[in-house]
Amino acid sequence: MVNRKLGAIAAVAAVVLAACSGSATPSPSAAAPSAAASVAAASTAPSAAPSTAAASAAAGGCTVGVSWNNYQEERWAKWDEPAIKAALAAAGDTYISNDAKSSAETQATNVENLISQGAKVVIVLAQDGVAIKPSVDSAISQGVPVIAYDRLIESPKALYITFDNVLVGKLQAQAVLAQVSKGNFAVIKGNKADANADFLRAGMVQAGFPDVGKSTADIKIVGETYTDNWDPANAQKEMEQILTANNNKVDAVLSENDGMAGGVVAALAAQGLAGKVPVSGQDGDAAALNRIALGTQTVDVWKDARLLGKAAGEAAAQLCTNPDVTKVTGTAPFVSPGKNTLTSILLTPQAITKDNLNVVLDAGWIAKAALCQGVKAGSVPACG
Amino acid sequence: MPEAIGVPSEPVGEPTRRSLRSILFSLEVDTRLLGMVVALAVIWVGFDVMSGGGFLTTRNLWNLSVQSSSIAVMATGMVLIIVSRNIDLSVGSILGLTGYVMAMLQAVWIPTSLGLGFDQPYTWILALAIGIALGAAIGAFQGFIIAYGGVPAFIVTLGGLLVWRGLVFEIQQGQTISPLDKTFALLGGGPTGSIGDVASWVVALVACVGIVYTLIASRRRRQRYGFQLRAMWAEVSVGVSGVVAVLAAVWVATHYFWPPLLAIQVFGPNARPDIPVGIANPVLIMLGVTLVITFIATRRRFGRYVYAIGGNPDAAELAGINTRRTLMMTYVLMGVLCAISAAIQTARLNSAVTSLGTQNELDVIAAAVIGGTSFSGGIGTIPGAVLGAVVMQSLRSGMLLLRVDSPIQDIVVGSVLVAAVGLDTIIRRRSA
Repeated sequence: MVNRKLGAIAAVAAVVLAACSGSATPSPSAAAPSAAASVAAASTAPSAAPSTAAASAAAGGCTVGVSWNNYQEERWAKWDEPAIKAALAAAGDTYISNDAKSSAETQATNVENLISQGAKVVIVLAQDGVAIKPSVDSAISQGVPVIAYDRLIESPKALYITFDNVLVGKLQAQAVLAQVSKGNFAVIKGNKADANADFLRAGMVQAGFPDVGKSTADIKIVGETYTDNWDPANAQKEMEQILTANNNKVDAVLSENDGMAGGVVAALAAQGLAGKVPVSGQDGDAAALNRIALGTQTVDVWKDARLLGKAAGEAAAQLCTNPDVTKVTGTAPFVSPGKNTLTSILLTPQAITKDNLNVVLDAGWIAKAALCQGVKAGSVPACG
Repeated sequence: MPEAIGVPSEPVGEPTRRSLRSILFSLEVDTRLLGMVVALAVIWVGFDVMSGGGFLTTRNLWNLSVQSSSIAVMATGMVLIIVSRNIDLSVGSILGLTGYVMAMLQAVWIPTSLGLGFDQPYTWILALAIGIALGAAIGAFQGFIIAYGGVPAFIVTLGGLLVWRGLVFEIQQGQTISPLDKTFALLGGGPTGSIGDVASWVVALVACVGIVYTLIASRRRRQRYGFQLRAMWAEVSVGVSGVVAVLAAVWVATHYFWPPLLAIQVFGPNARPDIPVGIANPVLIMLGVTLVITFIATRRRFGRYVYAIGGNPDAAELAGINTRRTLMMTYVLMGVLCAISAAIQTARLNSAVTSLGTQNELDVIAAAVIGGTSFSGGIGTIPGAVLGAVVMQSLRSGMLLLRVDSPIQDIVVGSVLVAAVGLDTIIRRRSA
């Protein structure tokens, strides 16, 4: 008994030490086959590296390392990681990973750790796209190609794989304009500090929606505002004030994401306008998809994380044989906000409306009970 | 408030020439509170002029009352905490956690996990009670570490800010929890969550009787103890202004009518176009909380202890006050108020989101401080903090009405915060 207790304490102490020592971060995927090796390697850092390399050599293909910025968020473990793993397994490659726990500093060390563990390609979900740049450049100079996963890294030699955020904004505007093509419009944008808020807004312009501060003969922008933290409660207050200022004469609302769309719909509902005024969103939130089935939200632009994971896994497998990022299939040049020309793969998001809700249902993204809660029978095809 | 802080104790002769200052002195009004009312009036009229008459409409004022209520509720508790020379940075995160638990109770745990079904008559009260109990428990936990452990409040609640928010992220996993119980959703206001005209006027009547009764009772008490009495004209003017304010507020609430489309959805196609909305439930909750906390702060031993501790902690301890228990109780109270605000915010949004209450700690502290609460301890009033919350929300709502974007709003609100406290400090130094 006593021994077991001591052993438990020692184990806890070891975990705490490993977690605290910065350079050594345990792999988040304890269940993965390669995890045992990577945990062992992580807890003692470089000295254990050769054994990991040997293990990966035994696996046949090359080793691909993934540096997550914050594995605690549900999405990465649930959708992205399995897709990356599956794509690598199909190519006979090995997956290793570590977690920076939302620390840009830890992530810089983590990238180096992955390379010392034998990674031939590194995939980085950046905590901070600028802070990580020196580590990325150092990896590339060592001949290890880097994939900037989902978030931009301002490094011209990295391969940037993401969903096309400008296209998301375009799809949002297109779907709303298909319902109401003229009248008074409100635009509820995300956080000012987030470049995506402006990418999305630029996409709306591509769909023929007027730019900030401008109106056309048909479309009048009666309210446009950024929203601190993309906070739904703030969006609700914004919408209440826009409705008040315009005496409810608002014909459509372009909301940049689902959370804020929830606030907008709550404000509309208090005026009896929910379901009468088209509202856009993105992210594929369960609550938003339910709103689409109920008819209170018009469109939800869905970015299937599994497609992103698959694309990154396949690109990494190709980079194992040829480290030139421009030779990866499906790449195109991309000019970043920092005026760097990157090689990129931009995936196409999908607009989900009442008519194609079966897409998210068939993909297993949402359960039918959650999608169809409170929906009148026969009103939506996907709900039956 | 007949017993405002700073009541003169020495007898004062009837002034012969009535300057503004002597009139205020006879009225015994809290000049800081009065200053805020004037500032608020200036802000309101200013926005109304700039928006071409869009601000002082019954609809906008009604919106404003609902939008201010959740911050105002928490600000009342924050006053007591700051008065006792402490701080609570964790209120937004406690709000997020209690809001999440209350939402899960009514959207998942009670209907699905326990299999009792949606929209049961007891769901809302059960969810609210458990949320409040959780808020109290979190407050007690933090308060215990602060009061008995001697760890600075700033550190403990900064930790709380991270811990409770982290817990929300960890267990909620970014999911939005909705829709809520239909009865619970009424706590959030909206025309359906308001009490209508008859009940509103009953509230007005009760409030007016309360004001008159308080004035009479206070005068009798002074007579009994042989204290200086307020001049009769002063008593009458205080009473009349109080009654007029109540009647005006209720008039506004009962002259905001149901939006026609919503009226048709709720009352059928033949709904009248002028159904009064009345006072919204969250505003009623806010008024109730303000009354109760004001009573606790000014008339109960606990409240007096809090002010005594803030005035001089060592003297309070030496006078035999159980300062630790008192401090801990201020955090328990704060936790309860966070849970009440969480109920208002989740009900209003009809869902719980992971960002619920983010940065609310800043708004709550700002409301208390704009309302005249001093960081040096011992000074601060509950109605002042409520007014502070209304001032903050007036600025934000007014700027939204004028289509001022969020970065500029932050700049204005931040500047006003510093200017208000700066002005207050200068005036206080001069009068001292």
